[in-house]
Amino acid sequence: MIVDFNNVSLAYGTSHDEPSQALRDINFSIQEGEFRFLTGASGAGKTSLLKLMYLAQRPTRGTLTLFGEDVSQLPREKLPPMRRRIGVVFQEFRLLDHLSAFENVALPMKVAGINHNQYREDVSELLNWVGLGNKMSAKPPTLSGGEKQRVALARALVAKPDLILADEPTGNVDPVMAERIMKLFIELNKLGSAVVVATHDLGLVKHLGKPTISLKQGRLINTNHMVNKTSNNIAAAEFDDDENWLDQEDN
Amino acid sequence: MLDFLSNHEKEPLLPEAGAGGPPLMAVIAVISFLATLALAGYLLITSASHNWTRELRSALTIQIPGDTAIAIKDRTDMAVRVLETTEGVVDFRVMPPSEAETLLEPWLGESAVSSYFTLPAIIEVRAEASLQNDISLLKSRMTAAAPGALVNDHSTWKSRLETSVRSAQMLAFSVFLLVMFATAAIAIFAARAGLAANHEIVSILHLVGASDQFIAGQVQRRFLVLGLRGAIFGGLFAILTLFLISIATRTGTIEANFIPGFTITMGLILTLLIVPAITCLVTAMTARLIVLRTLKDSF
Repeated sequence: MIVDFNNVSLAYGTSHDEPSQALRDINFSIQEGEFRFLTGASGAGKTSLLKLMYLAQRPTRGTLTLFGEDVSQLPREKLPPMRRRIGVVFQEFRLLDHLSAFENVALPMKVAGINHNQYREDVSELLNWVGLGNKMSAKPPTLSGGEKQRVALARALVAKPDLILADEPTGNVDPVMAERIMKLFIELNKLGSAVVVATHDLGLVKHLGKPTISLKQGRLINTNHMVNKTSNNIAAAEFDDDENWLDQEDN
Repeated sequence: MLDFLSNHEKEPLLPEAGAGGPPLMAVIAVISFLATLALAGYLLITSASHNWTRELRSALTIQIPGDTAIAIKDRTDMAVRVLETTEGVVDFRVMPPSEAETLLEPWLGESAVSSYFTLPAIIEVRAEASLQNDISLLKSRMTAAAPGALVNDHSTWKSRLETSVRSAQMLAFSVFLLVMFATAAIAIFAARAGLAANHEIVSILHLVGASDQFIAGQVQRRFLVLGLRGAIFGGLFAILTLFLISIATRTGTIEANFIPGFTITMGLILTLLIVPAITCLVTAMTARLIVLRTLKDSF
């Protein structure tokens, strides 16, 4: 099991303020090689859930297990090797503006202490694949939103992580590139990486027919089930009151 | 193709930010300048004090008073005989009366001394340490041969001089330590400011798997390079200043007695070059420690 949420809650705020409850009593798990969509309306807690999974936050309550380790209690020095097993595509890209596209993509390799000679071909190949072969020296401020997104994607994938987390990875790219990116996720998933994609793109979810984790107001909801097109996997899913397309899918 | 790719990697992971850029380098240069001068002061005082105390340790002065010039001369002859037969006397010189008068002229005026006073004879003696350590035998023999003779081994003066030298050494070394403390304080400030300014970058580095040691290493390398540049610049400028002072003392622009034995040797320069090395090491290590401590409080 790669990810296991056991009654996990997450609250923001200090002891002086009324804590804001971002997630409440979350229970689910992700096995090796699984592909999940993470859906929910804005403010439902998708990003908070991803933050817990990419170790930007610790749960305020409950037990979160990643790669067999309880991260709620994990000593600080054990976090970096665990983070290197996770590739993240952030919604706001979070690229380093003073570094070139090449350097940004190479970052996970560099911090892992891998020699430049060992990763430069991989980085170059990945940048070529996302169509930025001619912009390796370009710095993020000179790139368009879609190009930044592709650099962020390449950075998340370069170290061949065991778990790939993507927050709206197709939000800033054209439909053709969006399809290519999703195909890449599926290929990586087939090669063994577990993938979680948070998205608003309902068409994409419907088209790929993968199991869905759905959140509403910080709670995992499983009142409506979506039948996976390619397997018997059943995942809880409900978007919101205005977008109950999953019910239609069931029908 | 590979050369082309290598050109994509030339920026440090942490950009210059806050006080961690040219301002830090300028402050380190000033600190290194002051620290080099302080250490040079310490070394020069130490070297000069060795010369002074060595001279004082080997020097004895014998005063032979008398009511008349003839009496003084007779007693001086007796004293010379004692010195000739005393073991441990390297050499001695009876100071001519005119030289003694010259010494008193600044206070008593020209040609006035011999008119009013019968000056005692003065014998300058260079003695071995063994004689210096047991001066009582010479004193008793001298008093027996030349009644009223005073043997002065300068012990009081030597003791005061050594105390003054120690004080000056302590002062110079304290200044050096104080300046190094200031270096550490500035490095703490600059490292904290740099971390705050690069908060987002540090956060991203953590999220892609960087350890605290990796991030601290990046900061340490940056501070080492900045510190080295500033420290070398300040250190070389201090050595140049010392050269100019040395030239000024030789040419008489500055009173040489004010800084006795002031010469810039290669040994002194090599010793002073330790200061830039220490300065940049203090800067880099302090920055590393402060980054590790600050990151420890984050997730």
